Amino acid sequence: MAKWIPLWLHKLGSPPTFYRFAGAVRPWAMGLALLFGVIGLYGGLVLAPPDYQQGDAYRIIFIHVPSAWMSMFVYAVMGVSGFIALVWRMKLAEVVAMESAPIGAAFAFITLATGSLWGKPMWGTWWTWDARLTSELVLLFLYLGVIGLYHAFEDRRQGARAASFLAIIGVINVPIVHYSVVWWNTLHQGSTVNIFGHSKMPWDMLWPLLAMTLATKCYYAASLCRRARTDILALESGKDWVREIAQAEAAR
Amino acid sequence: MSAPLEHACAAMLRRDLTLAWRRRGDMALPVLYAVIVVVLFPFALGPDLALLQRIAGGLVLVTVLLAMLLALDGMFASDIEDGSLEQLVLAPQPLALMLGMKILAHWITTALPLIVIAPLLAGMLHLPAAAMPALLLALLLATPLLSLLGAVLVALTAGTRRSGMLLALMLLPLCVPVVIFAAGAVAAAQEGLPWFAPVAWLAAALILAVVLAPLACAAALRIALDS
Repeated sequence: MAKWIPLWLHKLGSPPTFYRFAGAVRPWAMGLALLFGVIGLYGGLVLAPPDYQQGDAYRIIFIHVPSAWMSMFVYAVMGVSGFIALVWRMKLAEVVAMESAPIGAAFAFITLATGSLWGKPMWGTWWTWDARLTSELVLLFLYLGVIGLYHAFEDRRQGARAASFLAIIGVINVPIVHYSVVWWNTLHQGSTVNIFGHSKMPWDMLWPLLAMTLATKCYYAASLCRRARTDILALESGKDWVREIAQAEAAR
Repeated sequence: MSAPLEHACAAMLRRDLTLAWRRRGDMALPVLYAVIVVVLFPFALGPDLALLQRIAGGLVLVTVLLAMLLALDGMFASDIEDGSLEQLVLAPQPLALMLGMKILAHWITTALPLIVIAPLLAGMLHLPAAAMPALLLALLLATPLLSLLGAVLVALTAGTRRSGMLLALMLLPLCVPVVIFAAGAVAAAQEGLPWFAPVAWLAAALILAVVLAPLACAAALRIALDS
């Protein structure tokens, strides 16, 4: 069994190593995000046929659905790394959890905004108190609470730990909120795309959606790398390796 | 040599209740706030009996929730100022149990007066008498639930200075299910439907929170005071 994998993971936990690693990953992730984004948008907006009922208005799902998936995915990442930060007190996990929060909040906001843009022509209303919409709104508020709590502390690491704790409470809370609001009469359609079975969506509409999903995933990775790098520099300011980087920048 | 557990609990409860009683004026403030909010609504919406009747249950619930939110901020404030909360953390008794007692004292001093005044508020909005037992039972279960959930968040913000708005932002996602089930019970009772199921959900959530929230509160407090 390869021993270098756990060794490499342990090394990656150290801020200078992660700083270099994130710097190497970021351009690739950003490039892939742009590539998939262009392919997905071209496929979705130009190549895919119009829907027989909704016409061209359905094309907003190529932004809406990947953002909705990402808003939940990023929350899961935040919860897991928050848990790691609290249990093993890893500085890097705190950074990842706290820098994920604004990205996730942005995805949640995009989901709500595009959804209401689509809802006006299709449902005849910008907003309705439907189960999914309300859960997504609550998710946005959870993100905002985590960001707010993080910035309320003077000490960054203490703030990160407190906000991680809130994120974990939120992970428990999200299914509860979801099932309590599901009891309301609901307007939003169920999911069409099924990973394990047969999707109820024709292939020429599905592949741009999947490309856009990959694009948002890569964008998240690139953005997280960028944000984490900045945050690590701020956290570790005063350490020797940061000073070396600063001197190298100043010498240029 | 540490005091037996039940003595410590009783002492904690007695201390907090005595402190609250010495400042009875503060206890009246949430009640006053709730009355003012409920009085304002008929002015804003007009004295239409049917409309007021329809929204009375939800309005009373939300008013009580907001009044509790106002009082929540001060749950640990004076104890942090004079350092007695740090002594509590260092005490040999389990922190979660002691915090549970503090939460109980806070519930008795803030939520109980609100529950007592709730029938009057509901009466001012002409809630049918048939829905009154459902409203009271829902409040009896929902307010301790809010106190317990709120205590965790108050503990998390213990190390910060400005926490008022932040607390509201953090409590909103947590109180959504509580409000849905409590309002569901009142609405069902108002329409003459069986309202036991949402109340049972509230009771189940309360039992879960009584066990878990003091533990979470203790963990949060250790994070917030650790510096």
